[in-house]
Amino acid sequence: MATKNDSVQLLISVRDLTKTYNDGAVRALDNCNLDVYRGEVVSIIGPSGSGKSTLLRSLNLLETPSSGSIIFDGVDLADKKVDINLHRRRMGMVFQHFNLFPHKTVLQNITLAPVKLKLQTPDEAHETAMKLLERIGLPDKADEYPARLSGGQKQRIAIVRALAMNPEVMLFDEPTSALDPEMVGEVLDLMRDLARDGMTMVVVTHEMGFAREVASRVVFMDMGSIKEENTPDALFDAPKDPRLKEFLAKIL
Amino acid sequence: MTWSGLFENMSPANFINFSFLPKFGTFFIQGVEYTLILSVIAVAIAVIPALLLALMRLSKNRVVKSVSGAYIALFRSTPLLVQLYIIYFGVFGLIKIPSYNIFGFIDIARFIPGVVALALNSAAYVAEIFRAGILAVDIGQTEAARSLGLNGRQAMSLVVLPQAIKNILPALANEIITMVKESSICMTLGMTELMWGAKTVAGTTYITIAPYVLAAIVYFCINFPASKAIEAIERRMRRGDKK
Repeated sequence: MATKNDSVQLLISVRDLTKTYNDGAVRALDNCNLDVYRGEVVSIIGPSGSGKSTLLRSLNLLETPSSGSIIFDGVDLADKKVDINLHRRRMGMVFQHFNLFPHKTVLQNITLAPVKLKLQTPDEAHETAMKLLERIGLPDKADEYPARLSGGQKQRIAIVRALAMNPEVMLFDEPTSALDPEMVGEVLDLMRDLARDGMTMVVVTHEMGFAREVASRVVFMDMGSIKEENTPDALFDAPKDPRLKEFLAKIL
Repeated sequence: MTWSGLFENMSPANFINFSFLPKFGTFFIQGVEYTLILSVIAVAIAVIPALLLALMRLSKNRVVKSVSGAYIALFRSTPLLVQLYIIYFGVFGLIKIPSYNIFGFIDIARFIPGVVALALNSAAYVAEIFRAGILAVDIGQTEAARSLGLNGRQAMSLVVLPQAIKNILPALANEIITMVKESSICMTLGMTELMWGAKTVAGTTYITIAPYVLAAIVYFCINFPASKAIEAIERRMRRGDKK
């Protein structure tokens, strides 16, 4: 957003991002442009199949773009010469299906990457993990295996696992979509906490209430392209794009 | 020859004429030992090349992928007997191994070529077992590991393979059972395994059916309980999976 104050630092800048499958027959992303500033919470909404997850997953290159660039802190991640592993460390990712490692305990899930990547000693990693587990009220689950946890607990631990890497941005891919309704709240509460602490977040979500309350900016996607983006109030109360109007009419 | 003479050997008594046992029993005992040693070592040797082949096959590099694909296709599409002969006479015709007995009945001059041939063959099948086991692990596991900054190799060795093992081990045990049966083909090279024992006893005693019947019983008594045990272990492991 060009109107932003210069003191607000640009963290991610997506330019002309296009992703095609089957030699161009399917356009999952069509010329997307998106800026994410430090400390911002950007929510991406839209109907299923609109490309919002693909866009999010492109930010840490889980999806390889067909063309365009993803500038993260000054480096174009779409450049094949860039060592993506070094940048992924700085971007936490939370998945719809948690993807905790079932063969590792909660504690091992959290400490695995920081220790193996030699970012923390085993003792430091252990200490960080316990602090984070205390923060979410689950220190007693440290030695449990994921199979023994509820969905809400799993997702909060998945968030903590990403936080243990001290990321500069957190990417959420429909973090509450696989949860039983009574567990959605605890996960959203944690995300709200993170936002309040100033974490930069990009959140693909169907939780319109959350988008409206927490997001600094909401992006609406349809058919692989960004149709409208605005502050939550403006986007939800005065939508301009006809597809967005239709979408909001259906869900609200 | 009369019609009744034609079926002379079919007399039930011939199937269970085990009168050779007191004198020739050791052929069977050593034969079983030979068969088991041969099969287990062949599959054990196959594991590392099989893992490499599987990882190559899953690689994005087209050349690497097709080298592995070609190896697997070659060994799965030609008879083991043909492979055995080519390796025994071709490869080990050039590399001479001195005759030396271990345990008193395993001649390494024959054993080593045989075990290498079986291992090369088995590697192709075990590679597919590994590949299937790896692919059975949810892709989200790799994505979670990679998005934490682990590289492809770390994600494979720390996250995917430890989970794939559960799918792989039972299939690997089944491969040993297959090998116990298939290794009977090594008889043709004079490797003194179980089938060779049966044939030698038959040739020496002119009791033509019962030695093979005994061999069949012995194979069955090894493989059937073993496969049942593997099934039971698999069931138990699946139960452990339930959330």
